[in-house]
Amino acid sequence: MIVLVPVLLVAPCVVQGADDNAAEREYQIKAAFIYNFIKFVDWPKEKVAESNEPAIIGIVGKDPFGNAFAPVKDKEDKDRKVLIKRFKPIEELKKSGEKDKSLLEREIDSLRKCHLLFICSSEEKSINEIINLVKDYSVLTIGDMQGFLESGGIINFITEEKKVRFEINVTAAKRAKLKIRSQLLRLAKRVVGDDGGKSNKDG
Amino acid sequence: MLVLQNMTIKHKLISIIMATCIVALLLAAIVLILWEWSTLRHTMARSLSTQAEMIADNCKASLTFNDPDDTKATLSALHVESSIIFGGVYNKKGELFAGYYRSDVGRKVQPSEIQKSGYTFGEGFLTVFKTIILDGEIIGTVCVRSDLRPMYAMLIRNIRIISVVLLLASLTAYAVSSKLQNIISAPILSLAESATRIGKGHFDHRVEVHSKDELGYLAQSFNNMAEDLQTTTTSIDNLNREILQRNQAEQKQAELLKKVESANKELTDFAYVVSHDLKAPLRGIKTLASWISTDYADKLDQNGKEQMNLLLSRVDRMHNLIDGILQYSRIGRVEEKKVQVNLNELVAEVVDMVAPPQNIAITVENELPVIEFERTRIMQVFQNLLSNAIKFMDKLEGHVRIGCVEEDGFWKFTVADNGPGIEEKYFEKIFEMFQTLAPRDDVESTGVGLTVAKKIVELYGGRIWLQSKVGEGSTFLFTLPKQETEVKDAQLQASIVG
Repeated sequence: MIVLVPVLLVAPCVVQGADDNAAEREYQIKAAFIYNFIKFVDWPKEKVAESNEPAIIGIVGKDPFGNAFAPVKDKEDKDRKVLIKRFKPIEELKKSGEKDKSLLEREIDSLRKCHLLFICSSEEKSINEIINLVKDYSVLTIGDMQGFLESGGIINFITEEKKVRFEINVTAAKRAKLKIRSQLLRLAKRVVGDDGGKSNKDG
Repeated sequence: MLVLQNMTIKHKLISIIMATCIVALLLAAIVLILWEWSTLRHTMARSLSTQAEMIADNCKASLTFNDPDDTKATLSALHVESSIIFGGVYNKKGELFAGYYRSDVGRKVQPSEIQKSGYTFGEGFLTVFKTIILDGEIIGTVCVRSDLRPMYAMLIRNIRIISVVLLLASLTAYAVSSKLQNIISAPILSLAESATRIGKGHFDHRVEVHSKDELGYLAQSFNNMAEDLQTTTTSIDNLNREILQRNQAEQKQAELLKKVESANKELTDFAYVVSHDLKAPLRGIKTLASWISTDYADKLDQNGKEQMNLLLSRVDRMHNLIDGILQYSRIGRVEEKKVQVNLNELVAEVVDMVAPPQNIAITVENELPVIEFERTRIMQVFQNLLSNAIKFMDKLEGHVRIGCVEEDGFWKFTVADNGPGIEEKYFEKIFEMFQTLAPRDDVESTGVGLTVAKKIVELYGGRIWLQSKVGEGSTFLFTLPKQETEVKDAQLQASIVG
């Protein structure tokens, strides 16, 4: 059951003060980054069936983005079309899955069909599970929690000096058959690989 | 232009060739330099554009993910090209995202505003802009700026090289043209020199013909002219010599003529004087003899009287002879005026004068012409001929026929008698002085008559000769040229008729 969600998010905008503004900005940047990751990552041919099929950005868990992906919609008139899909937190999915197995299966299927999957921090405990679920399906897993990369995530956002940066796990990327362009790798604050080599930009 | 005109052919040719070469070379050099300049600009612009493009390509991610340090690092690679003084990446808002400045320049080399993709030469810089496009979207602009020093340096180096080449080429052109101008100038100079030589009088000088071109043709014509000149001068020389010779000959002739004339004159004068002087004593002798004959008639016997008569007759003969000589000498000495003489009238007069005896008839066969002649002379001719005919007539019935025909521009007169005739061997002799055929005792003749006639006729360009048969008669013929005698014939005819 693939639900095509319209790009225009009609999520309520929660005002929570100045902090919320900063947070909003942060997730706006992250949303832009996520969108831009598409331009610097090559998915295997099997995943990208047709060139004009939209790239699917999935968000699983408690969505922190709000309507941060709104500007992305404006870009739709270019070649790259983008779809935003929201998934309920895994626990919820599992619960509803008990009732309706096919629903769970459908959701998992949809998850696997995503090109990029942002795992919200609400799913911290289920990182491994999620990553396992999508691990052979060439999904670029993105997160913004500590230890994301160690758990097998591919790109992890970090904030440094009020700037949004990111770190990349190249082994995970390779396992997912994703090719990350060196231009993007260069910008990662930290690049982690299974060979034990941790190349740190500042090191 | 005047300077050019007065140079020698050699220098003219070299100058022309050099001027042509230098102009052509300069033109080529200028075009080359300009073309190089243009190409250089394009090359520089292209190279810089390439660099800008590479930078654009390499900072797509850092621009997207807002990492200016990474961009700076990318830009810093520009330092390798020492002429690049600024390299910058601008975001889509036009703000400078990251910049590179060459160590020795400050911020001021930044362009004041961002322009569209492309390059401009200005303010002493080459500035290149390149938009950074990611996924069909403009996310920023790259700007690279370099100073033009290397370009200028290259240009100056090229100009120097071309100048050196130009110089060498000119020198070579000079050397080659110096050698080759000979092809044209040598024949011309040789021609000029030959002209001078010939002008100085060496007409036998010829020019060597080497080539088949216009100069060769000129040399050939020149030789022909010289040939003609030589021929002409030679013939002129010859003519001059001939003229000189002729003049000399004429002079000699004139001198001779003078001598002859003077000799002739002398002789004539002499004859005249002598005969005149001879006559005087002769007259004396005659007078004395006559007196003796008369005064001493009674003292003389028959023999004596006879001898006195003989003496007187001899004296008379001598007188006649002297008269004859005198007459002869007069011809040609005393020149009469030529007048129109009607020969019919004249002959009638002469016939009267000679008074032929009754047995001799003198007839004029045909109309005699009117001639322009000295009257006395022509009278003498007829007189002598007629008197001879009468004197020697031996027939009982004698006739003398006078006639005239026109022949070859001459009047041919005939006086024919039926006298004794003359032997052929005497045809020439009788015209000689003092020659008589009959002994003087038989016929009293001076022997000068025919001589005189001959002299007169020949003096006027005519001829006198005779035809004769012994026993039957003689015909004397003489010719007188018509031109001399017939000038006013028509007028006289008119006057006679009128």
